[in-house]
Amino acid sequence: MQPERAQDIHDIELLKSIAAKDDAALALLYDRYRIILFGLLMRILNNREEAEDVLQEAFLQVWRKAADFDENRGRPFTWLVTLARSRGIDRVRTLSARERLAKAGAREVSEEISDAASDAFKSEQRGLVTDALAQLPDEQKRPIMLAYFDGLTQSEIATRLGAPLGTVKTRMRTGLMKLREMLAGKDESFGF
Amino acid sequence: MVHDDYREMIPASAVSALDAAETRVLNEHLENCTECRKELDDWQTTAAALAVAAEPIEPSPKVRERILNEIRNDSSASQVVPFRSNPRNFWTSLGSLGAIAAVVLFVVLIVGLIVLWRQNRAAQADLARANEFLQLVTTPGAKVAELKGTDVGAGATAKLVYDPNGRAMLVADKLPNVPQGKAYQLWFIVGNKPPLPGKTFVPDNAGKGVMKDQVPQPALDSAVFAVTLEPAGGSSAPTSAIYLRSGL
Repeated sequence: MQPERAQDIHDIELLKSIAAKDDAALALLYDRYRIILFGLLMRILNNREEAEDVLQEAFLQVWRKAADFDENRGRPFTWLVTLARSRGIDRVRTLSARERLAKAGAREVSEEISDAASDAFKSEQRGLVTDALAQLPDEQKRPIMLAYFDGLTQSEIATRLGAPLGTVKTRMRTGLMKLREMLAGKDESFGF
Repeated sequence: MVHDDYREMIPASAVSALDAAETRVLNEHLENCTECRKELDDWQTTAAALAVAAEPIEPSPKVRERILNEIRNDSSASQVVPFRSNPRNFWTSLGSLGAIAAVVLFVVLIVGLIVLWRQNRAAQADLARANEFLQLVTTPGAKVAELKGTDVGAGATAKLVYDPNGRAMLVADKLPNVPQGKAYQLWFIVGNKPPLPGKTFVPDNAGKGVMKDQVPQPALDSAVFAVTLEPAGGSSAPTSAIYLRSGL
């Protein structure tokens, strides 16, 4: 059994306190994860106002649902990211196809800019993941990124890329399995 | 479908890449398959790691402020136990009945003040919501949809008001209490297309719930609005019976 990380234990205690309606604990959890979660939501929504709105909703959900967190099923970080991302994807899926396309287009431009400027930000955690993604062939990485950050389903990705649905499914699954292998045992490094 | 077919869907599910029908089928399987639930948990760990690939960005300090203001208005905050001192030492140190009576009176006064303060905060929050609803409903071109309870939501009612830009507010009443880990979710149904998911909300003990949402563009002109009971994080496709719907 994998030993628990000290940070996880701390986060679990915070979630227990939040479940007991301790607002100071929620403030601590927010302070710890706001930057990473807001970065994720900005990447999904590409709109500061909407991303802040969803970040607020996500932490209000943490406040109301902290008692549902089950430490036997995963780490607090995983729970928080899954919750925030799920709300971000729900929000982006309420946009019309044209709006989503426009947002994705805008994001591709901003990605180029942020990649060029990202030398200023070097974290061990981000480096591990971006290195792992960089090792994937583009044909496997692209569907994963379109699903994860644009909220597209496999059918929508197949249409977007002009590839058969079966091919998209195979490439996405292969890419995700490679990612899991590359990140296996390194998730302890994701300490924020 | 056999077990392995479901297992093959799990990695895509962890990155929300399944379509509504696949999600529904997999969720039904997950309810009865511990092994696949465990596998999905593992894949979600991998998926969560991808979050750090996004550039970290600092949100506005106002978000923190808004969250803390909201939760302090939350009626469930009343569960907080304000005093943590050891009562035995406290009473022993007082040493006289007069002092005890004075302290009891003081505590009663403080508790009374706290109750009044909370009632005032709750009333202010209700007033703010009512104002917001009024502003929205008086926006030129605003529409109001009446939602009525179905068999499972008998007696429940709701109004959904939305402006031409899709800014919307749902006010529901007399909804059945939600079980632990569940929430009500709004849906936008346009023609024969799969329902578009809205936000989730949890009503208070009286079944009252208020939620702001954004009506998607395709649903602005003609849509049926419905409310179902879903897992707390919401679903990409409805998984329960309809509790409320418009056009009944």
